[in-house]
Amino acid sequence: MKAWRYALKLLLRDYRAGELRLLAAALVVSVAAVSSVAWLADRVGEATSGRAAELLAADRVLEGAESLADRFAAKAAELGMQTTRSVGFPSVVLSGDRTQLVAVKAVETGYPLRGELLLQSGLGAPERRAEGIPPRGEIWIEPRLLSLLDLEVGETLSLGAMDFRISELLALDAARGNVFVSLAPQVMINRADLAATDLIQPASRVRYNLLLAGAPATVDAYEAWLERQDLTGIEVERPTDSQRGVGEVIERARRFLGLSALLTLVVAGVAMLMTVRRYAARQVDRVAVMRCLGATQRDIGWLMVWKLIWLGLFAGGIGVLAGLGLQAGMLALLSGLLPETLPAPGWRPAVVGWLTAYAGLLGFALPTFLGLRHVPPLRVLRRDLTGRPTGAVTLYAAALGVVLALMWWQASDVRLALTVFAAVLGTLLLLGAAAAGLVWLIRRRQRRGAGLLQFTGLVRRPVTSTIQIVAVGLGLMALLLLTVVRTDLLTAWRDRIPDDAPNYFLINIQPSEVPELEGYLNDTVGVDTRLYPMIRGRLVEINGEDVAPEDFPPGRARGLVEREFNLSFREQPAEGNRVIQGDWWRELPAQPPDQFSVEQGVADELGIAMGDRLTFRVAGRTVSAGVTNIREVQWDSFNVNFFVVSPPGLMEDFPATYITSFYLPPDRTDVLPELVRRYPSVTLFDVGTILRTVRSIIDQGARVVELMASLTLVAGIIVLLAALQVTAEERRFETALMRALGATKQRIRRMIRWELLLIGGLAGLLAGGVAAVAGHAVAVYLFDLEYALRPVLVGYGVLAGAAVVWLAGGVGTLRYYRVSPMRLLRAPENG
Amino acid sequence: MLVARGLGMRFAGPAGEISLFQNLDLTIADGEAVAVLGASGSGKSTLLGLLAGLDVPTEGQVFFNGNELTAMDEDQRARLRAGRVGFVFQAFHLMPGLTALENVMLPLELSGSRDPRGEAVQALEAVGLGERLTHYPPQLSGGEQQRVAIGRAFVTRPRLLFADEPTGNLDQGTGERIIDLLFQLNREHGTTLVLVTHDPALARRCDRVLHIADGALEAAA
Ligand SMILES: Nc1ncnc2c1ncn2[C@@H]1O[C@H](COP(=O)(O)OP(=O)(O)O)[C@@H](O)[C@H]1O
Ligand SMILES: [Mg+2]
Repeated sequence: MKAWRYALKLLLRDYRAGELRLLAAALVVSVAAVSSVAWLADRVGEATSGRAAELLAADRVLEGAESLADRFAAKAAELGMQTTRSVGFPSVVLSGDRTQLVAVKAVETGYPLRGELLLQSGLGAPERRAEGIPPRGEIWIEPRLLSLLDLEVGETLSLGAMDFRISELLALDAARGNVFVSLAPQVMINRADLAATDLIQPASRVRYNLLLAGAPATVDAYEAWLERQDLTGIEVERPTDSQRGVGEVIERARRFLGLSALLTLVVAGVAMLMTVRRYAARQVDRVAVMRCLGATQRDIGWLMVWKLIWLGLFAGGIGVLAGLGLQAGMLALLSGLLPETLPAPGWRPAVVGWLTAYAGLLGFALPTFLGLRHVPPLRVLRRDLTGRPTGAVTLYAAALGVVLALMWWQASDVRLALTVFAAVLGTLLLLGAAAAGLVWLIRRRQRRGAGLLQFTGLVRRPVTSTIQIVAVGLGLMALLLLTVVRTDLLTAWRDRIPDDAPNYFLINIQPSEVPELEGYLNDTVGVDTRLYPMIRGRLVEINGEDVAPEDFPPGRARGLVEREFNLSFREQPAEGNRVIQGDWWRELPAQPPDQFSVEQGVADELGIAMGDRLTFRVAGRTVSAGVTNIREVQWDSFNVNFFVVSPPGLMEDFPATYITSFYLPPDRTDVLPELVRRYPSVTLFDVGTILRTVRSIIDQGARVVELMASLTLVAGIIVLLAALQVTAEERRFETALMRALGATKQRIRRMIRWELLLIGGLAGLLAGGVAAVAGHAVAVYLFDLEYALRPVLVGYGVLAGAAVVWLAGGVGTLRYYRVSPMRLLRAPENG
Repeated sequence: MLVARGLGMRFAGPAGEISLFQNLDLTIADGEAVAVLGASGSGKSTLLGLLAGLDVPTEGQVFFNGNELTAMDEDQRARLRAGRVGFVFQAFHLMPGLTALENVMLPLELSGSRDPRGEAVQALEAVGLGERLTHYPPQLSGGEQQRVAIGRAFVTRPRLLFADEPTGNLDQGTGERIIDLLFQLNREHGTTLVLVTHDPALARRCDRVLHIADGALEAAA
């Protein structure tokens, strides 16, 4: 018979005999974990890639001051390209006594040049393509704005000085610039209405966009022309740029989830090693007979390889399907954060799943399987000959090698992979040492004569007990960290914000409005606050050298130099700021106006040091000064703060807007509508709402990670069951002996229950302990939060661990105590 | 007193039912030492298991001190055994992972002794293993392991002791010393002994020898 067919036959027989179920289960869980992440990333990635132009709504977008774009529009028209313009800015809409921060986009006919706008005539109504842009006097809004403002389609809301009728719901504007939901809902109006709103004032935070589209050759020609132009103050966006930003977020999330999925594979791998070892030991006789009948080592090797190929095919397939289901669950958890309609699942994640299955088998099963080649035919006569089982070094090297390779693949970065690998290994070793220590302590207690019947199950198998404790403990620990510790930390962070910390920000205040608004705030609204100037400038030089975004690593640093800085000037240091290097200007003998004070975090990020000379471009002019001090800022005080501040003399004649923040008690919010009506161009930010939104996004994301951690716990339970299976023979013997010595069934059940509760309890003890310490360390050293060690975590851990292990293990051990003591008289060696 | 009446044991075999023995009658007086001799596979161990209440026969009854074992359920029989019945097996059957001392303590814990440790130490001293209390079974020789098992069997001062080929896994010299020990303790405690063996020399040391062959039990000449 052909090896592949014979292997399939044997495999099915072994499976029916229950030999391979846990191995298969371990594979399925690993594949499900890894492939679910792949499915998710693939679908979300697919939703953005290939639609890059749609995300931009054009082939090119030029952003800059309003008039600057004319020249560029003229050239585009000359080349026969389509053009249109849009204006984007944050603002506040008003309806009755409700206010809401929104992202306004004012568009001209032709928008979008690429992609589409989908509209709904009411909540839940079918989506259809927009035939044009909002007619004058009408506003299209994101559906969630309806509930935020308690409005219906057809009703009216105010934006700035003008009232708009809500005529459509904006189901999809691909060019929202982001696939993810943003904090402020979007509204769209006709550009022709913009002036009447009175919202745009000098130095407001406004993005003027010129959108261009054309045939590829024309776009190339335009691009060539662009290269020869002076692009000062102009930003050119290409489809790949917008995709890069979104892609980076998706990629980072994919890496993180992918690496968490591998934790499941590591734990499941332990179960695989255990079950495979037992399986191989039970194959020895069968292999010996085959060898006797003339099978060569090669034949045996191929037979084993074929078995694994089949196993990987089946278990991988089930795992991939399970992963697809999990992915649907994750999407449900993320509902509202991602677009409603995603492309159908592709086939690539399935391949990823199967590759994972084979990688797992390669690392955790193949070496042991191949060891069977060395079973000598003489075994049929001499039972003491077992051949040469694969050595421990080979086993661990293969397992660790595969884990490292998979991590590298998921992280697509060697250093990250090595770090995670070391961290996982370190955690496992630490947990292992702690678990072994606890088992040893109990053993010592028992030696001194306490609880022989209670502790005996645990201490008689110290190695398997330790493995079980670690495997279950790891899953529990991940879950505790994600649930209890995460909520605790968020609460601790919220508690640190003083009750009267500013909860509203006003931006875009015109200098001409300052005296009156300040008076209004202090007298009518009754908040004691000051207004601060804010000047927007781009960092163009450090010590005379041009600053190019490409010189900085992607992430925060690059983002800082790509965007504009908020600069300010003031006499005194702001409240809560601490100068940590250099001196504030008042302390210096001479007080030249060309000085900068830089916030510490920004200085670190951009490598700015004391004495460096920074040059900013502000509204077409440049301003330079040396850094004379570096400040530490407590950002979560919610006071107004700036990255870069100068003395008053330096930037006073630059165009500025003003900004302020204040605390308004919840029962005073009735003054806000009037404030917005009075100062339509001023934008009001409600910190509480923004924090709540951020928190709900964190919660939703965390729930997906919790799902991954649950899979790790499932893998831990499989390890538990595998260990029970490996020790089954031993347990049957023990039960028989205890029965012969006069133990009742109840007594035996109680002993097993003790063993399980101890394993679960110790796993939970470790998990809770480590989670408490880790949570404390992260809070204190990373986030600088007050967060005491929480012993209650240990309590949760012990309860959860004992319950989980008791439930899972109780089912797994049922079989072992229905044993007749007669087997003692019929042990194999008993004549 | 241990009484068996009309004992029969049948098994479902691949080719229909197999009857191992039927209609066995047997009475063993308190303090008596009885040997059951027979070839391998003749049913000695099965008979021992039935007499000890480890299993129930397909026919017949077993009484121990007037209690009918065959009318009890498994747990009732287990409770009856606890502390009253001792076993010595051919394969020793010590618990791996427990020390010699802990192995001997087990039946004491099960029968609710007040000082399991003290009594177990005494029992191990009695079998000459006072120096090996904290050794684990694999660290002991076969003979020493069987001594631990004998210590475990006698530690609760049982009324009845069952030994299934206790020397089967030992070399001759060791086996003899084990048997000496077994009989010595048996005499000291006045225990009723049922010993199963295929070794006629060993059987002769008992008060009475029974032969089991072809499903029937006969007193030896
Ligand atoms: N539960 C059972 N099912 C089937 N056959 C059994 C069972 N128990 C014992 N036997 C058979 O009964 C015979 C006697 O076994 P045993 O009492 O162990 O003999 P001995 O101890 O004299 O060597 C053996 O052939 C054995 O296979
Ligand atoms: Mg026998």
